[in-house]
Amino acid sequence: MKGDQCEMSDPPHVHIGFDKNELMLKTFLLMSVIAVASVAIMGIEALIHILTALGTVLITHNVIYSYQRWKDLDPTYGSPASPLVAGMIVALAMPIGGPYEVTAGVALLTILVFKYGQGKYFERKYLNPAAASKVLLLVLLSAMVIFEDPQRTGMLFHPHHLRLDLLSSSGFEASMWIFSGETLPILGTELSPAQSLLFWQTHGWIGGASGIVVLIVGAVAAYWLRFKWRIIVSTLVTMTVLAAVTGLYLGGDPLLRIAFHVFTGSVIFLAFFMATEPQSTPMPGSSQYMFGIGLAALTFVFQLTGVLGGSVIALVILNMLTPLLDKVNLKIPYGHREKKRGAS
Amino acid sequence: MMKGPRKDHEHHFKEQGGFEVDISMKKESIDDEFTEVPPADEMMVFLSQHIGPEAEPLVKKGDGVKYGEKIAGKEEQDHMMVPVHSPVTGTVQQIKDMPHPISGEKGRVVIIKTEESKKCPFYEPLGPASKQALLDRVREAGVVGLGGASFPTHVKLSEKGIDHLIINAKESDPNLACDVRLMIERPKEMIDGIKIMGKILGTEDITFATRTKEGETPRFEKLLKKSDINIARIRPNYSVGSERLLVKEVLDKEVPSGRFPPYVGAVVHNVATALAVSRAMEGESLVSRGLTLYSKKTGGKNLWVRMGTPIEHILRYLGASPSDFERIALGSIMMGPTVPNTSYPVLKATSGLTAFTSSERYPYKKQLACIRCGYCNTVCPVDIYPQQLMMAAKKGDVKRLKELHIEDCIDCGLCSYVCPSYIKLTPHLRRGQAHVKGDAVEDL
Repeated sequence: MKGDQCEMSDPPHVHIGFDKNELMLKTFLLMSVIAVASVAIMGIEALIHILTALGTVLITHNVIYSYQRWKDLDPTYGSPASPLVAGMIVALAMPIGGPYEVTAGVALLTILVFKYGQGKYFERKYLNPAAASKVLLLVLLSAMVIFEDPQRTGMLFHPHHLRLDLLSSSGFEASMWIFSGETLPILGTELSPAQSLLFWQTHGWIGGASGIVVLIVGAVAAYWLRFKWRIIVSTLVTMTVLAAVTGLYLGGDPLLRIAFHVFTGSVIFLAFFMATEPQSTPMPGSSQYMFGIGLAALTFVFQLTGVLGGSVIALVILNMLTPLLDKVNLKIPYGHREKKRGAS
Repeated sequence: MMKGPRKDHEHHFKEQGGFEVDISMKKESIDDEFTEVPPADEMMVFLSQHIGPEAEPLVKKGDGVKYGEKIAGKEEQDHMMVPVHSPVTGTVQQIKDMPHPISGEKGRVVIIKTEESKKCPFYEPLGPASKQALLDRVREAGVVGLGGASFPTHVKLSEKGIDHLIINAKESDPNLACDVRLMIERPKEMIDGIKIMGKILGTEDITFATRTKEGETPRFEKLLKKSDINIARIRPNYSVGSERLLVKEVLDKEVPSGRFPPYVGAVVHNVATALAVSRAMEGESLVSRGLTLYSKKTGGKNLWVRMGTPIEHILRYLGASPSDFERIALGSIMMGPTVPNTSYPVLKATSGLTAFTSSERYPYKKQLACIRCGYCNTVCPVDIYPQQLMMAAKKGDVKRLKELHIEDCIDCGLCSYVCPSYIKLTPHLRRGQAHVKGDAVEDL
């Protein structure tokens, strides 16, 4: 027995469900299923975006890892699983129409500034790395409306979105033309805009190409990997309620409204794979509900005002509120409950 | 209000948050009959084997001592002091200071050379006696809580206004089975001890809290029924072994923070302590106990061991070598502290020994960054937030530690058990408690 090497107070340990690196690897593998679906639906451009983002984070991670090993420092990430997850999120959160350079830029900012940098200087990540870098870079780019072809500059939103009238019945239905005319291959079935939003979108975020795939894979991930499910549920339920109520009061087919507001990539993908990022989201269960409700409400407002990819801005705002949300809604510990009941 | 039986699990304890603790090791140990381990040539008896001040030595180098004779503990010492007795007949070779295997602080140890291994009770059996005489005998025989906390039993039995006596036979630790085995092998003595405890406390409302299923310990259950002792079948999980949570489980009463079970009119004693009380009445000092040794190499073994027996002697007796093991924990797999080396002895509080071979990795060696997944607070049985407490403890933020109720941690270790980043949270929480109390805080 190597007695001298033992600490006096080390408790023994025999079982862990899964470790952080396995968690990241499994998350990456599940997102890969979504990536495959996106490439199948959106084509080779989606694949190039994905490879661009993954390549950027892997190269950056390897450079930093090699430097840390060379300097005899403990590597920040001993496994590439976590950087790969960040790269995949970046790729799946990019619009298919954006330029590849912007995807590379967002991926670089994500890994360098918001993943390595944030973790080193704040000892935790307050902001979701992919969302924060996308906001930082794309807001800057979005300001460049002076460009002749703004879509090619990879804006956060397209100028024509700002002209959409989603508040009136006719305006909303007219805006749905973009989801019309999709046809399921092999079967040859023509899809309505609502069906397109659910099954087959060739427009918008790469990760949202098939809402149903994200829903299924996300549900599996949330259960298997114990994601903060309250955030997912509250985000999607709030969004559904807001969409239905808007449809009933302002007009427009409520089901189409629900399909649009819930199954656009920026909502369905973000709800499962970005809003549940553990470090930047609250711990108390009730605060997670508040986070999800706030996220959905803000995103909804952004959507109605034409900032269709504004969910990342909403997420960053909610991330900033997390330290406050961590201090409220705490469970009452054993030993204080009856006192509390007596007081009330 | 008594709660009824709940869903049972064959191979797992199901904790809050749905996490499961593997108890196949316990299952492996239950069928193993107790084996008595003979004393070592040299016995190493710590004079602090309980919560309270160390017992003052009554012997010096060269003194002859008899089996069961008191070797430390003066009458005039603090009420919390518990005497210590010689586990063998022999000669005191040395009294020296050594780091205590649990606290790590220096403590006195009496080294006794064994000359005779015979066991003959040192005290006369106690016949019908007053409550005070019974209580005095409990203290004189050195009885402490054998569930692991080693709180002086006579102090708990001195409580006034107690309506309920709860016998904790939950044996929550996933690799220990010695209590259940004692229930199978020595039922009458245990129940005698329970009745004596009830008599001292002046209560007839006694509840036997167990996770065993009906029929698992038939002789014992028959005797319990004959003695009008209630049986409460508690849900099979780990954390309910804590006496505060057990009171809630059995009586549906919450022990307020900062208080102990007597505040709600209850006292909780471990089932093995009842056996020690019964033996004390027969004249036996507390110098031996049942424990479970578990390792992958030996399997689960129930052993009757004298306090002061070096661990290496036990391993050799079982045909194993101390060098077969990388690490040995004094206690269960969940909470037991690692002993510095195998020359350390068994104490009164040692309900188990868990030995790890070098093929069983030590997960805390390489801790990863916290990802704030929150699994630790999902599984926490008292609903505190271990991760947030760890961060506050690192900063020494006493205000935040108080807001988050650091004082309510029961040190069960479940937060460390589920952490996907291999972070050992419990030492951080202990440091947080030290910050709040204003005690010295050790570096990690």
